[in-house]
Amino acid sequence: MSGASTNTSPKTPVRRRPGLLRTAWRFGRTKVGVALTGLIVLIAVVGPFVAPYTPTEFVTKPFEADADGALFGGDNRGRDVFTRFLWGGWTLLLLAGASAGIGVAAGTVVGIIAGYRRGWVDDVLMRVNDVLLAFPQLIAALLVMSIIGPKVWLIVAVIAVSHMPRVARVIREATRKVIEQDYVKAAEAIGLPRWKIMAVEILPNVTSPLLVELGLRLTYSIGVVAVLGFLGMGLQPPTADWGLMINENRQGIAVQPWAVALPVAAIAVLTVGANLITDGLSRAAIGIDRGVEK
Amino acid sequence: MPSLPEERTPFLKHLTSRRGLLKASPAGAAVAPVLAACGGGDSSSGGGDAGEPQYGGRLRVGVAGGGASDTLDAHDPTDNVDIARNYALYAALMRFANDGTIEPYLAESLEPNEDGTEWTLVLKEGLTFHDDSPVTSEAVVYSLKRILDPENPMRGAGDMPGVDPEKLEIVDDRTVIIHIDEPLVTLPEALAEYYNCIVPVDYDPDSPIGAGPFKYSEFVVGEYSLFKRHEGFHMEGLPYVDELEIIDFPEDDARVNALNSGNVDVISQVPQAQVTIVEGDPNLSIMESETGMWLPFTMNVEEEPFDDVRVRQAFRLIVDRQEMIDQALAGYGQVGNDMYARMDPSYPEDFPQREQDIEEAKRLLSEAGYEDGLDVELVTSDISAGVVAAAEVFQEQAREAGVNVTLRRVNPSDYWNPEEGFPYPFGQDFWSARNYITQTAQGSVVGAPYNETMWGEHEEWLEYLKEARTTADEDARNELIRKAQEIEYEEGGYIVWGFVNLLDAHSTRVHGLEPSVSGHPLGSYAFHTMWMEQD
Amino acid sequence: MTRLIVVRLFFGALTLWAVSLVVFAATQALPGDAAQLILGRDATPERLAALRDQLNLHEPVAVQYMQWLQGVVQGDLGTSFSNRMPVGEYLASPIRSSLTLMGLAALVATPLALFIGAFSALRRDRGFDHGASMGTLVLASIPEFVVGILLILLLGPGGLGLFPSVYAREGGPEQWTLPVLTLALAVAPPIIRMMRATMIEVLESEYVQQARLKGLSERTVLWRHAAPNAIGPVAQVVALQLAWLAGGVVAIEFLFNFPGVGKVLMDAIENRDVPLIQAVVLLIAGIYILVNLLADAIGLAANPKVRVANR
Repeated sequence: MSGASTNTSPKTPVRRRPGLLRTAWRFGRTKVGVALTGLIVLIAVVGPFVAPYTPTEFVTKPFEADADGALFGGDNRGRDVFTRFLWGGWTLLLLAGASAGIGVAAGTVVGIIAGYRRGWVDDVLMRVNDVLLAFPQLIAALLVMSIIGPKVWLIVAVIAVSHMPRVARVIREATRKVIEQDYVKAAEAIGLPRWKIMAVEILPNVTSPLLVELGLRLTYSIGVVAVLGFLGMGLQPPTADWGLMINENRQGIAVQPWAVALPVAAIAVLTVGANLITDGLSRAAIGIDRGVEK
Repeated sequence: MPSLPEERTPFLKHLTSRRGLLKASPAGAAVAPVLAACGGGDSSSGGGDAGEPQYGGRLRVGVAGGGASDTLDAHDPTDNVDIARNYALYAALMRFANDGTIEPYLAESLEPNEDGTEWTLVLKEGLTFHDDSPVTSEAVVYSLKRILDPENPMRGAGDMPGVDPEKLEIVDDRTVIIHIDEPLVTLPEALAEYYNCIVPVDYDPDSPIGAGPFKYSEFVVGEYSLFKRHEGFHMEGLPYVDELEIIDFPEDDARVNALNSGNVDVISQVPQAQVTIVEGDPNLSIMESETGMWLPFTMNVEEEPFDDVRVRQAFRLIVDRQEMIDQALAGYGQVGNDMYARMDPSYPEDFPQREQDIEEAKRLLSEAGYEDGLDVELVTSDISAGVVAAAEVFQEQAREAGVNVTLRRVNPSDYWNPEEGFPYPFGQDFWSARNYITQTAQGSVVGAPYNETMWGEHEEWLEYLKEARTTADEDARNELIRKAQEIEYEEGGYIVWGFVNLLDAHSTRVHGLEPSVSGHPLGSYAFHTMWMEQD
Repeated sequence: MTRLIVVRLFFGALTLWAVSLVVFAATQALPGDAAQLILGRDATPERLAALRDQLNLHEPVAVQYMQWLQGVVQGDLGTSFSNRMPVGEYLASPIRSSLTLMGLAALVATPLALFIGAFSALRRDRGFDHGASMGTLVLASIPEFVVGILLILLLGPGGLGLFPSVYAREGGPEQWTLPVLTLALAVAPPIIRMMRATMIEVLESEYVQQARLKGLSERTVLWRHAAPNAIGPVAQVVALQLAWLAGGVVAIEFLFNFPGVGKVLMDAIENRDVPLIQAVVLLIAGIYILVNLLADAIGLAANPKVRVANR
């Protein structure tokens, strides 16, 4: 179901959509958001190819701030901070992207099923949802990591699971609005199978909340992945990873601030960018919804 | 949860102590070694001189570690702060001098008979405990019995195999004869350990009385303890300060901050990253102590691929020892030569220094059948400052030789747990300075509590060691030890890449600190020699 | 409405119970059992057997769970593995510290956020409003520990050197500054946004328009008529933010080495101190659920439609 979030060109005729993405793009903040996010993504993707050293080779003394050949000095082991900064982004993006994608996909499935089937299915799904919601995201992740140990798939799984109920709630609401529409009733009248109604009639019509949720969950995912790295419960040394870099170099912050400042700045810019895009999307979505309802 | 069963073997006691000790290490502090050093060595001087020592004042000391398991029990200290308090409160019969040699402390003399099975101990004259009662033969016997109690042996019991508590013989008020079932040449070392100190008859840890330089005043578990000058301390004119406050500081940053802001006068164990901060303050200075503490890689000689001696030799050649010191210890250490017991008089200074030799390492590996490279897992843990760093540095160095190292990081509290796989095929450890024989008893021989290399089953080596253990004559003993060392240097399972320098810091108002090789911070917590400039 | 709250309470309790199941189950997933964990390398078969008996580890899992749950309900959270102290006793002081920290943060953040929110509403679409809107968006995006580190870089020993970056028992009150400020900055943005939105709605309402028509001064209109009507929804957001604080405080305490429950949790994880982990997770989840319930209740009480409709 991971195609759910990308399915923006449904086969059924789009009755009312001026194009969420296009609407969102009209907001200045969306453009700023795309620029900021793009910048960080660029660093993360291109970085490893242009880095002056390998991420694990020793270039300076530990925490040496101004060393020859190291633009931003050395880290806690004397590895080049700039190199590790260039290498440390893609893991964060990948983990955040994967967990947001999976979480939103799963939440969408649950949300649509709950919203469409109603009755006891809805009740059961939503009660389970409530239980999952009762765990603060970070605490749940820490609990699992502390028991099983920090593993990459586990990080993705835990964050995805923690996203799922939140997404499901939103999508369920959207679904309930959609199923009141004539075309869904018509499809039911023809006797289309339920799964097909959900996939073909409902899903394409909940894309605007879906996209907004994706943006929101991506922003949160970045935060959670980074904070797990920072707490030492994410990727493990000697991986170059922004969250982990902050953890490792915290002790030298007064001597060698760059080793902390660079990843911190990148995470800040990235989350702000992602949130600006999300904000643009949600403004656009509200506008569209209002236009339809009024 | 109910408390644990009380009965403990000496073996288990050692483990408990060591595990307890670890509690300081998650905080990132360099963990103080369990046992102190012995042997001759070098030491740079520190602390500064400012004329005649002055009396008075309250010395506030921030010590790394501490927590809810803090104790004042004379014979059961585990954590760093416990050890610091132990040095303040109690005194043992012998002590380690700063260069690691053994000298009498409460004892006036300790002499063996010819074969080392009977030792005659004479106490100094006029010794008093904190309650002004005299230190007598009875107190010595009581203390040793408390340590060796077969029902509840204290950790010192493991150092004194063959000492029968029932056969301690009181000759007069100041003389005791210790009978031993088999020769024990290391008895003076054992009696110099801080945790084998002397307490009065009917000692009660809740209102602790000892013969150390400071007497008990206040104690709050996990926070601080306060001591007052012991007027009857046997070292003439010592200690200098009126009051001593020892404060728990499990967190590195907090400890340095407290010194920076003047909340304490002295701190133990400055993290390397913070040295420049301390040095940048004209009112503070750093005391660097070379020690015999080592952080080896351990290769299990019974497990693949390390059952092949060529692989072990190759791995030893992979290590760039200076780079290890520079990157893992930020330069604060001494290069090692795959040999421990650096302060032991038998330490083979003349063995050629082993250097990195990737070509030779590759040759040995391909001879051993790994011409296409080798994958190994290195189990690491934050058991002591620099351990994980060393693992990361090794991982990088090994790459050159075609050895792909994956790191598996284990929680410190689980590191020695067989459930986790200890002894690991390839792991790490930390050890304080010990003599060769005592060290092998702890880490190498069959049945040793931390037999991590399984090296001790090497028959030829073991023969020499066994003979050395029962040879009372020092020169003859050292000859035998050297034979054992030669074998271990060529074939052993340890990679001893370096020895750690300890970094302590203090206000420039405080004087009288001297580095010690023991591996215990603050010159083995020598609070009795410290003094403060009075306004 | 009472019925609704009772229903919510019931589900809250149910959720808490489910959480306890999850927490208990998590410990069952550990390699080795509790006895093995406690003894570590001291484990001999005899001692393991003895300890297992003491801990009732031979009982079926369901019975063990019931015994554990019974203990929890009676306030007996077990004994910490690492320091052998009763967990409840051990947690008393960290809980106090954490509550103080959160309380201070709420005390700083709430009035400030309410003021900024209200002022933005009055200055709608003007410079201040845009600035505040941008500021809250940025602050709301950045993970709180990143905010904390930025503050350290700026005001800590490496930057202007105004405040210490780690907490120490001997330290003075200035060491509270950065942790409190970080938390305050983390909780304020949603409050500001909600205050602004609600105030705009209220200011446009007929009720306020009428007050204006009556010729009351703008200040009276604002503080006597508009503000009280905005309190309900805003209070809900404040409560939700407090709930968030319960979890968010972990990273902040870790960052500043602040001796609260979050720090305890991280240490417990480091030491694999299972009873302590269980207790802290239960505690945080419990607070989270409770405060969420409170937020619900406030929301219900403040919303007349719900009050009347009663579902």
